Amino acid sequence: MRIKSRPRWLMALCCVTALAGIQAASASAHTGEFAKFNFCPSTTTGVVKCINSVTTGGEVVLGTKKVPIVNPVTIQGGLSKATGGNRTFFAATNGITLSKTPQPVPGGLLGIVPPEKSPPLVKALSAFFFENALTGVNSTLELAKPASEIVLNEVNLALEEGVALKLPVKVHLENPFLGSKCFVGSESSPLIWNLTTGTTTPPKGTEAIKGFGGEAEFIEEETLLKIKNSKLVENNWSAPTASGCGGILSFLVNPIINSMIGLPSAAGKNKSELITTSYLATTTSVNNH
Amino acid sequence: MRSKMTRVILAGVLALVAMGSVFSASAGAAPQWKFNGTALTGTEDIVGAAISSSLTIPGMTTTCEHFLYNMKIENAAGTGKGSITELPLFECHTASGKCTVEAIGAKKLPWPTHLTTISSNQYLIVEGVEVGILYGGAECALSEVEILVKGTAGGLISNETETATFNSSTFTTTGTKLKVGATAIEWNGVFPTEGFEWHREQALSVG
Repeated sequence: MRIKSRPRWLMALCCVTALAGIQAASASAHTGEFAKFNFCPSTTTGVVKCINSVTTGGEVVLGTKKVPIVNPVTIQGGLSKATGGNRTFFAATNGITLSKTPQPVPGGLLGIVPPEKSPPLVKALSAFFFENALTGVNSTLELAKPASEIVLNEVNLALEEGVALKLPVKVHLENPFLGSKCFVGSESSPLIWNLTTGTTTPPKGTEAIKGFGGEAEFIEEETLLKIKNSKLVENNWSAPTASGCGGILSFLVNPIINSMIGLPSAAGKNKSELITTSYLATTTSVNNH
Repeated sequence: MRSKMTRVILAGVLALVAMGSVFSASAGAAPQWKFNGTALTGTEDIVGAAISSSLTIPGMTTTCEHFLYNMKIENAAGTGKGSITELPLFECHTASGKCTVEAIGAKKLPWPTHLTTISSNQYLIVEGVEVGILYGGAECALSEVEILVKGTAGGLISNETETATFNSSTFTTTGTKLKVGATAIEWNGVFPTEGFEWHREQALSVG
């Protein structure tokens, strides 16, 4: 019996070691300023540039809820050769192309009122979870599509015209009562953000907003481009209804969330504003460091 | 009471007149193009090559060994005006060499120009500047990207050396700016000014 158990133990150890090996292989240890590209697939065929972009401010207005970005959100990965100025993304080697960084929703979902016809249990749970200052709600931006659906146009980014970054996302609302699958947007119905550093073109009746191309600076002898304080804006996106909120009670909770946030929300009612600092380098430079 | 009020109003008027004269002195009278001290009538072509010229995006300076220009000038309504009609640029390179200049050229020519006087110095203002630069290089962070330098440039004219000098100081004085997107660009250049058509070998001055 003992003899039998030893190989299993050894096998497990081998598996752990192998997994650790795979993990280590997925991250490259670049040095100095280039360490920020450790998760760029810089040796993958088709990748010509690496990007690391951190959003440190701005806000997302979804229906009637405004969520300031107070925790840094990272977008990282590889970029293809440009076609008509557009470069498509390659996923980060650690799987975190868009970091799932929770942002607290100011006021949580306080004030939420379940419909009058709701069962007493739902009313009681709503009161417990939403009318409790200790139980806030977090909003996390997640990719709704594969990384290859992200498009970057660095010329538009710098020149303040056209779409600089196309980002298909969904918003994850997190709260013990909402469960782990409460989303606004999905892979089949993503929130498509066509972000610009220029001026937005919202539907009639909504005021256009102006972005900012940021301040460009070359560092490391022209091999690393830093663009700081870009303001990427978009207010021409629509949002579908929430789904998966409240687990088995979703048939009751989804309508409450929709009513609370004002979903579905038509284009022009929503806004994204990302204050971002980005770093760009060619894969040759990255691999040389 | 009335005489006191009159004195106050008079003092105010005098102050306004004084302020007005200060402003007009700083803005200056419109300068004209002159050849051998005589105001230009009709038009003339000025052709030249920069003695030195470089363009700096923070962290990257691009220098062109040959920076030529052709400017048509005239005095219109008492003011020296003109337009840059050609601006060929050759043998351009960056400081580190990591970025190569694959293509560079002026766009949307002609660019209108005019003379102005600020604090008794004469300046040439070039409007509608637009220069496209395509960088390359395996390690160049901006490779495969054509950037556009846009804006207005103000250069100091020296009658002694018959040159126009563009640098950060002349840009500040004239309130002009060149930018790539939102990023300010520094342009340093010294350009000789010389009549090429009707006034060859005549001293060109501005005043």
